[in-house]
Amino acid sequence: MGLRASRIRVPGLAGHHDPAAAALCTRAAAGDQGAWDDIVERYAPMVWSICTRFRLSDRDLEDVAQNVWLLLVEQLGKLPEPAALAGWLAATTRRECLRAATASRRPEPLGPPAAAVTGEEVIMAERNAALRAALAELPASCQSLMDMLVSDPPYSYAAISTALGIPVERIGPQRARCLERIRESSALLGLAHIGGNLPGGDPDA
Amino acid sequence: MLEGWDDEQLLTALGEAIKARDAVPSWFVQTGKNAYAWHNVDAELAQLTYDSRTDAHEMAVARSEETATIRALTFTSAHLSIELEVADSSLFGQVVPPQAGTLETRTKAGMTTAPVDETGFFTVAPIPPGPFLLRFGTTDGAYVMTGWITL
Repeated sequence: MGLRASRIRVPGLAGHHDPAAAALCTRAAAGDQGAWDDIVERYAPMVWSICTRFRLSDRDLEDVAQNVWLLLVEQLGKLPEPAALAGWLAATTRRECLRAATASRRPEPLGPPAAAVTGEEVIMAERNAALRAALAELPASCQSLMDMLVSDPPYSYAAISTALGIPVERIGPQRARCLERIRESSALLGLAHIGGNLPGGDPDA
Repeated sequence: MLEGWDDEQLLTALGEAIKARDAVPSWFVQTGKNAYAWHNVDAELAQLTYDSRTDAHEMAVARSEETATIRALTFTSAHLSIELEVADSSLFGQVVPPQAGTLETRTKAGMTTAPVDETGFFTVAPIPPGPFLLRFGTTDGAYVMTGWITL
């Protein structure tokens, strides 16, 4: 079951107002390498996913990555809208990929639709980043359980019980408690207004 | 954000978020983290504004076929441009407006320095085999840096 992109349309690549991104930019601009690493870990999956639409060699991919992040280093503290960092990164990545693809005289990227980055994707990237941050705040026991529950193919409760040393009948309640902690996580607070963007279901149903 | 989500939907979303992260090669993330080393480098970043390879058509119209085969790049900042031409094993460049200074060629392995004469000309030889970037220092102590270049 894949996630559905919602029908919420966002003009351009502005993305959502993401206060976590703004706070990280401020700290990184002030010299905090840890905040910078957090920024990279939050958004590298989106940058990577955009890059994979272009037929780039590993060398081109490295050039793109170096330049995208170098541009961001230079812009830290100067971004007009640091809370829209994901949108800025998406647009910058796409531009650098197009440049690399053209300079290498490779065939066209996988057609015009492949080159486009939609507002929905930026929102999804922000949501994924927030969810991973929420997951990282959980106790180790919750993180291990969540990892096993979402793995593809899924583990059986029996296998989870053996691996984590939890009785089978306690997995359900433990799962519910962990999910509740994620719901309450401060990492998700800033994205409160993405409400109707339901995974795995029709938001209009 | 999660209003209206049941546990299954939340788990699905978590699964997608983890999958997206796990798809990224670790070197790709490391490249991003390493870029922070440039945070303390005092330089204005000049953007690539012209590349003969991507702007080949304009080149063909503007220049003869003979010169159109030379790879040319221009990096532009608010204050000056760095124009580059690739010739065999050397890189010839000019700072515009013309002025003297120093030019650093930085690779992952280290840095070399070359003088820039009063007409703004400089030479980088040999061309670094891997990615490199150039940082021009004016006589006033200001710096302008290009993005990463691979030739």
